[in-house]
Amino acid sequence: MAQQANQALPNGHLLEEYIIDRQLSLGGFSIVYLATDPEGRQVAIKEYLPNSLALRSKGEIKPVITSEHLGAFRYGMKCFFEEGRALARLSHPNVIRVLNFFRANDTVYMVMEYEHGRTLQEFIQKHQGHISERFIRGVFTRLLNGLREVHSNKLLHLDLKPSNIYLRGDNTPVLIDFGAARQTLLTDQPILKPMYTPGFASPEHYGNRKDLGPWSDIYSVGASMYACLAGVAPLAADTRMKKDTLPPAMMRWDGQYSDRLLEIIDWCLNLNHLYRPQSVFALQKALVETITPPRPKANPNWLGRFVEKLRKPI
Amino acid sequence: MRFTIYQESRQGGRSNNEDRTTYCYSRDALLMVVADGMGGHHYGEIAAQIAVQTLADSFQREARPVLNDPFRFLQKGMTNAHHAILDYTARHRLKDTPRTTCVACVIQDNVAYWAHAGDSRLFLMRDGRIVAQTKDHSRIRLLVEEGMITEAQAVFHPDRNKIYSCLGSPTPPEIEFSRKTPLDHGDIILLCSDGLWGEMSGDMIAVALKGANLLQAVPMVLNQAELKGGAHGDNLSVVAVRWEDTYVEEASSAISTQTMSQDEVTTRLEEFGRNPAYKSELSDDEIEDAIEEIRSAIEKYSPPKK
Repeated sequence: MAQQANQALPNGHLLEEYIIDRQLSLGGFSIVYLATDPEGRQVAIKEYLPNSLALRSKGEIKPVITSEHLGAFRYGMKCFFEEGRALARLSHPNVIRVLNFFRANDTVYMVMEYEHGRTLQEFIQKHQGHISERFIRGVFTRLLNGLREVHSNKLLHLDLKPSNIYLRGDNTPVLIDFGAARQTLLTDQPILKPMYTPGFASPEHYGNRKDLGPWSDIYSVGASMYACLAGVAPLAADTRMKKDTLPPAMMRWDGQYSDRLLEIIDWCLNLNHLYRPQSVFALQKALVETITPPRPKANPNWLGRFVEKLRKPI
Repeated sequence: MRFTIYQESRQGGRSNNEDRTTYCYSRDALLMVVADGMGGHHYGEIAAQIAVQTLADSFQREARPVLNDPFRFLQKGMTNAHHAILDYTARHRLKDTPRTTCVACVIQDNVAYWAHAGDSRLFLMRDGRIVAQTKDHSRIRLLVEEGMITEAQAVFHPDRNKIYSCLGSPTPPEIEFSRKTPLDHGDIILLCSDGLWGEMSGDMIAVALKGANLLQAVPMVLNQAELKGGAHGDNLSVVAVRWEDTYVEEASSAISTQTMSQDEVTTRLEEFGRNPAYKSELSDDEIEDAIEEIRSAIEKYSPPKK
């Protein structure tokens, strides 16, 4: 069966109490709309609509789900619920907030806060390799506050990447798209389809995933920082494990950024998860602490510094 | 760690050798030191001996098998050596303190860290070229940097041996630290006293050592320098290492061997067949329950509306 792209709901469509303004993005798993709530606030609405399992033709509202695909469709819905559950319990300025969740058109919808801004991905593309250390430190330190909150709720994001990091107008970051998020305590849960993005996914993402942990999100944070410097995603972890040709940040940007920042990036990008920062806190600590190499005070007396040395008889 | 190392100290045309060198290594860390005891002051060789001994002793105590903080190690080691020299002076009631220059380098995890006081030098050579070197703590270096004299004039300047930082002087030493420097396969780090670099420029040494076996090439370099130094030539000392690991490859190979085979199997497994739990049904009631649960969570965790 040839696959068609799903049609978005038409602009101006009334979905429960929300008016659809326009489509924001279309993914393989869902469509995100910009909408207005009854109080006139702008919100983002995410519609569960897996491309391969449900098809909405032009002019239709309800998607067609064949009985053959219903099982899988419902199973995927479970994952969507998981994302909703994950986000509903989080209330943090650096994590996207869920405002509502409802069922309509034979599928389910998640309403989230919306703010003007852009993704880090767009920012990187615009500034190709000209992103200041100050900006990187500022964005990631605050982003890690959000990620810490996620991990402290025993959740993993598992799809961290620049396009899932949203920057508000004042450049404060917000973590979005918890589509791959998983409760770490329920690791026996089956996975519909491994969701990961090459370049940003950790080596553990590729295996049988039993080693997934905070360190896996930390790999993705490192990869995102690397992308800020490089302008493009780093080499995918599965390729790196066969032959690692990824130049360490320490070598590639030697002298252009502080040693400490480059060192932190390489630390996060360790292929062995045991060698990475083991918690967001450890990483954050490294990122904010200022290291000044030991340097004894210079003798204030300029002339006093001159010690005569008469080695060779002239 | 894999490396080739060579050290040698020669008397040159002098009546005694006041230079001292040492290197020591644990499983995962390497230390190299060159100290040049200063003539004109008494017992230069004692100061140099104390300096290399102090650093080697603390390395043997602390490198288990790596140093916690190589820069701190160098700072502590050189400062302790400085105080040990002052103590020696007091104990033996010497009229003047013996003094020495000191350059020391630690390599661990394929990263080099070095520090120096005085005019003994460290060169980092890659592909026959100098990529990094220490700056002498000498008046002449300051004059050259300020543009007062040219490099060519410096070679024959009468003050070319006057330095303003050393271990053992009543004024505390000014110790200068390098940056953390990742090493490539084949990089050469060479520490030497001015007896060598005064006769042969770093560039010439780099060319001479390029691709050569250090165990043969370094003595040849010393021969040349000694010859040029003539009948009254200075002591010449050198510790040189060729690094055989790579910052890049080391990091990857160590890990890929650990994780690769296991992962390749699991990756292939994932591509076959579908997950058995894939067919799990979700009834309408379960959907309603899930939505209800999420809504109550939103209610519970959302900040109160203004």
